[in-house]
Amino acid sequence: MIRFRDATVVYDGGVRALSGLDLDIGDGEFIVVVGLSGAGKSTLIRAINGLVPLTSGSLEVNGREVSSLNRSGLRELRSDIGMVFQGFNLVDRTSVLNNVLMGRLHSVPTWRTVLGRYPAADVEIAAKALERVEILDKARVRANQLSGGQRQRVGIARALAQEPKLILADEPVASLDPPTSHVVMRYLKEISADLGITTLVNLHFLDLATAYADRIIGLRAGELVFDGPGSECDATVFESIYGRSLTADDTMEAEPSL
Amino acid sequence: MTAATATDRIPSPPREWWRPATWVAVVVLIAWSFWGLDARWERLLDAPADFWNLGQLLFGDMAFDRAGDLLIDMWESIAIAWLGTMIAAVFAIPLSFLAAENLAGLGTRLVVRQILNILRAIPEVILAIAFIPLLGLTPMAGVMAIAIGSIGTLGKLFAEVIEAISPHPVEAVDAVGGSRIQRFRWGVVPQVSPEIASFLLYRFEINVRASAVLGVIGAGGIGGTIAQTLQFKQFDVAGLGLIIVVVATIIVDLISGAIRRRILRGPS
Amino acid sequence: MAAIDRLPPRPGLSRFTVGATLGALVITVLAGWAVDFDLSGLITDLTRPNSVIEGLLSPDWAQIWSERSRRAFVETLQLAVLGTAGGSIVALALALYATDYGAPHPSVRITLRLINSVIRSLPDLLWALLFVSAVGIGALSGLLALFFFSIAVISKLTSDTLDGVDRAPIEAAVASGATNTEMLRTAVLPQILPSYVSFVLYGFEINLRASAVIGLVGAGGIGERIQFFQGRGEWDKLWGLVILFFLVVFVVEQISSFFRRRLV
Repeated sequence: MIRFRDATVVYDGGVRALSGLDLDIGDGEFIVVVGLSGAGKSTLIRAINGLVPLTSGSLEVNGREVSSLNRSGLRELRSDIGMVFQGFNLVDRTSVLNNVLMGRLHSVPTWRTVLGRYPAADVEIAAKALERVEILDKARVRANQLSGGQRQRVGIARALAQEPKLILADEPVASLDPPTSHVVMRYLKEISADLGITTLVNLHFLDLATAYADRIIGLRAGELVFDGPGSECDATVFESIYGRSLTADDTMEAEPSL
Repeated sequence: MTAATATDRIPSPPREWWRPATWVAVVVLIAWSFWGLDARWERLLDAPADFWNLGQLLFGDMAFDRAGDLLIDMWESIAIAWLGTMIAAVFAIPLSFLAAENLAGLGTRLVVRQILNILRAIPEVILAIAFIPLLGLTPMAGVMAIAIGSIGTLGKLFAEVIEAISPHPVEAVDAVGGSRIQRFRWGVVPQVSPEIASFLLYRFEINVRASAVLGVIGAGGIGGTIAQTLQFKQFDVAGLGLIIVVVATIIVDLISGAIRRRILRGPS
Repeated sequence: MAAIDRLPPRPGLSRFTVGATLGALVITVLAGWAVDFDLSGLITDLTRPNSVIEGLLSPDWAQIWSERSRRAFVETLQLAVLGTAGGSIVALALALYATDYGAPHPSVRITLRLINSVIRSLPDLLWALLFVSAVGIGALSGLLALFFFSIAVISKLTSDTLDGVDRAPIEAAVASGATNTEMLRTAVLPQILPSYVSFVLYGFEINLRASAVIGLVGAGGIGERIQFFQGRGEWDKLWGLVILFFLVVFVVEQISSFFRRRLV
């Protein structure tokens, strides 16, 4: 479903975020990407839906070359890709339901969204998404009145409401406490398994990565240094990804046990 | 009967009665205004064409030979705005002390604030109409109109600045045994001067626009020239005058804005 | 050598402060010269009995019963309502599409900013003059003038708020494939709606004042009555009308402030 071939991203100012990346991701996989800050995790994820363009190399998503897409092509691509953000990226002042309905924008005519009159079928999809993350009862509550974990669940529901083929989660639990992080990761994993949605998650807590990932991808300074199942990841592997020995910051639970 | 859907399980929205009520009130107000207004609506269709024609007349072939006179008129408007603002400052600053919570008692404050409110409410044009019999059809009428009109706004803004100062420097002066004047000079003034200067300049920008139009009723400045030339169909002159007003206003805004930012930001 | 000699040199007043103060003084002098600054007339006139001040001190309240004045009054209110209603909507669109995230194309943004600058630099009376010249005397010119004038006021305030909006929901909307308009509607508008309504109310207050004076050039409202009284020297009637009108404006402003405080 996703194919990187010799992909490179260089930002203005010369920072090499991705270097010659070759990567294949198949349908339905649940993948966690690990690496230090600045290793290229965020760039990798944002390249897939075109938010960050490649400097060179090729990236195909569902058979289409991302860099060849024009504006409406990009919009179509993105409508099939749901994104979950570290900062939740919700509209604070409006209700949970309105936030989730934003996931239906790609299929609802613009005039309807301007007036706020969404068709019943789309509202049903939004409601089902909210039920899946068990927060339907808060549908009318303003987003800024929710806790962090609740907000991220709304973020997941919004991505789900797009009926996506792919979900990208950029450090979805970085702002959450350990129990809540587990809840969010569990939702993502179950959704991926039940609905067959390919899922890519950026994490920097290694114990969380090994607990939930089928496949782990390690990035270091923009290069792919590990690609394999979670069972193969031990302390040595992680040290090669991080380039240093592990510290307490690298695991979420107090006891750094992988 | 269909199976219950997830939509049915969405909680119902909160009942905010005042929302539809406000909408209704607003719609009624607009409808009443629309039907009540005695305007020749049929002219609305011609309006774009009329405006286009006017545009041609104004800007098609401008009287550049009169540019010198027009620039002098614009300078006169700017001068009126400047003097008016400065005179207003002279009165507004002391008044603002009397209107500030941390400097004046309740009784004084209420009275002064009401005076400032009244002065704020009167448009400069009306003040100018009042001053013309007293000062004649001269720019001085415009200066006084702008001055009186600005005292209200400046007084209120300055009072708010004074109320927002930090008590710490003032406290420090008290703690070393300073007099009231010293407390003022070292505790209050350094905190408020940049913002006061900035607001003065901001008011000046607004007053430039106001003084440009005071001329329409004869109080000096480029407004008078534009009004007269429009009336006597000297469109080539009027058009140039308008452009000069727009350009001059934008330039004043840019310079004043840059100075204001520098004042507030400090040297960098 | 004593410690006092090792003190760093005292910073003088910065060049900026000196320059700015000198500049201000020079401008004041030049300006005074330009307008023939002379307050002597004012002092002598104020101390002499004159009808302007007399009229102000005993205004003719009977204006409230005058049929023509009342109609002019109502017309002024109606002009302000309609001008604000139309202008506020256009102002919102102009402001939204002139932002860096809302403009479909950089050229659109630059053009809109240019248009906004020009519209914002014209005062209310000048708009009125222009429309009276183009369309003729009457309420229609006044309406058009107020329409454009309120676009200026409201779009400026709205633009400033839009610049400070939270970008995160915008990113989310773009990432889900929304069009430009959809993004503005769902991710930006809810954030600024309370402030925008507050600006519309403020624009209405400004329009009320403007509508009182545009009649001076024939664009409808009480301005024509004011000019009528001025021409006949009937200052008591003039002040009566003006004071009554501004009492109404005062009440409207109090109500408007009440709602504006609740919104933000």
